[in-house]
Amino acid sequence: MKIVKKSWLICGLACLCALTLVLAGCGSSSSSAASDSSATASEPEEVPVEAEAESTDEAATTEAEGSGWYASKEADANGYKLVEEGTIIGVSDMAYPPLESVVEGKSDEYEGFEIDVMGEVTNRLGLKMKWLNPMKFDAIIPLIKQGGKADVGVSSFTITDERKKEIDFSDSYIDSNQAIVMKEGSKLKGADDNATIENLNADGIVVCVQQGTTGEDWVKENLPKAQCLPLDNAIDCLHNLEAGKCDAAVADLPCMSFYCKESFKDFEVAVAIPTGEQYGIVVSKENAKLTEDINKALDEMKSDGTLDKLMEKWFGGNI
Amino acid sequence: MMSKRHSNHALRALMACVAAMVALAILPSAAFALTTSKATARPNEDGGTGVIGGIPTRLTWEGTVDAGEQISGVTLELPAGTNFNSSTTKLTALEGLKRMSVEGEVVPEGSSLKVKFSEPVGEGLLIRLEVEGMTFPEEGGDVVVGGTYTESGKEKPLQAAKPIATIANTPLQKLVDHLDNQDWVAAWNSVQFLGMFLKPQIMVTSFASLFTGWLVCLFIVIVAYPFAIILGLIFALMKISKHRLLRAIAIVYINVLRGTPLFLQIYIMFFGLPMMNIVIDNNILGIIVMAINSSAYLAEIFRAGIESIPTGQYEAAASLGMGHLQTMIYVILPQTVRRVIPTVTSDFIMAFKDTSLLSSVGVMELMMFAKNLTSVTGNMTPYVTAAIFYLIVTLPLIKVVTIIEKRMANSERGGGPRPKVKAAAEKDAQDETSSAGAEPSLAEALSAPFKAGTSVFGGVADVR
Repeated sequence: MKIVKKSWLICGLACLCALTLVLAGCGSSSSSAASDSSATASEPEEVPVEAEAESTDEAATTEAEGSGWYASKEADANGYKLVEEGTIIGVSDMAYPPLESVVEGKSDEYEGFEIDVMGEVTNRLGLKMKWLNPMKFDAIIPLIKQGGKADVGVSSFTITDERKKEIDFSDSYIDSNQAIVMKEGSKLKGADDNATIENLNADGIVVCVQQGTTGEDWVKENLPKAQCLPLDNAIDCLHNLEAGKCDAAVADLPCMSFYCKESFKDFEVAVAIPTGEQYGIVVSKENAKLTEDINKALDEMKSDGTLDKLMEKWFGGNI
Repeated sequence: MMSKRHSNHALRALMACVAAMVALAILPSAAFALTTSKATARPNEDGGTGVIGGIPTRLTWEGTVDAGEQISGVTLELPAGTNFNSSTTKLTALEGLKRMSVEGEVVPEGSSLKVKFSEPVGEGLLIRLEVEGMTFPEEGGDVVVGGTYTESGKEKPLQAAKPIATIANTPLQKLVDHLDNQDWVAAWNSVQFLGMFLKPQIMVTSFASLFTGWLVCLFIVIVAYPFAIILGLIFALMKISKHRLLRAIAIVYINVLRGTPLFLQIYIMFFGLPMMNIVIDNNILGIIVMAINSSAYLAEIFRAGIESIPTGQYEAAASLGMGHLQTMIYVILPQTVRRVIPTVTSDFIMAFKDTSLLSSVGVMELMMFAKNLTSVTGNMTPYVTAAIFYLIVTLPLIKVVTIIEKRMANSERGGGPRPKVKAAAEKDAQDETSSAGAEPSLAEALSAPFKAGTSVFGGVADVR
């Protein structure tokens, strides 16, 4: 029996060793590949870029890519490190109308304020815009940080210090607030906003939020007695509310007022919480030049009124 | 006369009392040009909800400037032990929901924080101070945020907000802090893959906070499984029954459940039932879905098991004068049990893993906790921890399946375990005393496959 145990241990150790070796090997091989391409820098780097893009499609290699995709990636002529040359690949959860959503009836076309903003930004940078398939909100920042799949994350990300530790944000392009959504005529609604919040801050109250959002933060901080139920996306929160599984849902005001107006007509924004948060575009820390140029484009859009026009288009002037 | 004077007196006293109360009620609101709305702190317990003293967190203070007032500065004062020194403060001013630009100078000084606005903040505006990276007193307790504000050059005391409940440091958090300061941890985390998937600090905290989720998973599957077995057996028997209707029902039930994804069944149950005004607790609903789903798979397993018993067994039972029910209970089912044990265990493993799907509808199970932690920390380590928790259950079970299968294969080849001479002698003696000639009980019959020294063919009958 002892021998058996020992052999298990040895086996485990061997596996660990193998793993580290593989990792180390990947690191060095990719860096040597990078130096190779720099040696022949006179040639355009299209070939290695395509090879990279292809290899990331294979699930087996994603782990290896994780150990420093940006480190092994050469910056292009503009100083960007893009997955595909000449194209910014964006990723979003596409479930937050009117900011971003899938066009009804078409699974690979997207629309919304942020989609338009990104279209305009990439236009000004002379690049193409491409969107990946929708991805879960909380997976977006790790994906951008890891690199190799997408260049920017645009999914109504509030700029927070905590997120800034992981990635960089562009300047803000829109302000936002939080909203508490309840069924119309809910007993928990108090005489004023504070009374409603007090009513919700009680044992046995369940409040749905979207996982990893500032709404979740707000509930945890301001409704410590209530149970905070984090779900995959905003629409799940509203379905739970409709099903009577929770008493309220907290999420960003623009999206919530849209849903209350368009799809869930028996719901209302019971409290608009003034948080004054600001959305930013998520870019990797390794892509500082890209962030800088996106900021320039956003500045231009602010000063020439393009941004205001887009806000008018999607929010009718008020958010 | 007396009575009138008396009543007069009483009236005056009452009026004085009312006046005092009105004054008391008016005074506070009149005295403050800046009404404190709230003071809260972000929970900084990893995977928990507590605000721990001595560890950086974020303090949020809000106040509204009253009508006709201008505020040029705010100073927050907290109990000794609070540390603002390495904090950064974000100033926000809001008019209703509209964000206004506000600039100011923030000077952290030990347990107080001085904010001087470059331009006075006007009436009706909500001022928010978000102080990131401050620490509360290490000993914990209720912390009252007080201080002063400056209005037209004069300092006035700030209305105290509801105290913030903080707790002292937990042993777990101390361990994390210890890890934070280790060189090897820093070196380990500097490798992007290791830092992303196997960060020691998060490993430690996630083990603690995922444990509850793991118990929920186990609870759901362990409670659901007996029901699934019973339901499965019923439907298996229905499927091999001679009655057409019973067979039809069983076939529809099994095929629909096996032919649709569990994920879909969960969605229908969780969002469909409430539409019909059937509101059941999430955990119980989870158990029901798991039981129903597993029962369909188990029904097929049982049916296959029963049908794999050679016809000779039925004939032999009939020749002993057993009825159909007797044959089933004493001859066929016990043999079936032994044959299906590996497959059922595999199905149990599947069911246990499938509880993870319940996280998408808000059952607080293992994956849910892992997802939460991942979204909070932006790190994948909680998923690895969750994987370890799943493996704690599944690996031994997989081992069990292998062992049983090996034994079965062995005995099918005729190489089953042979009773040792001594054991056999003891066993004979036991057999004679305990159950000489008696019919085996149901429990005995069903447990027979697990007893050592039992060979496969012939099942119970072989034991004696």
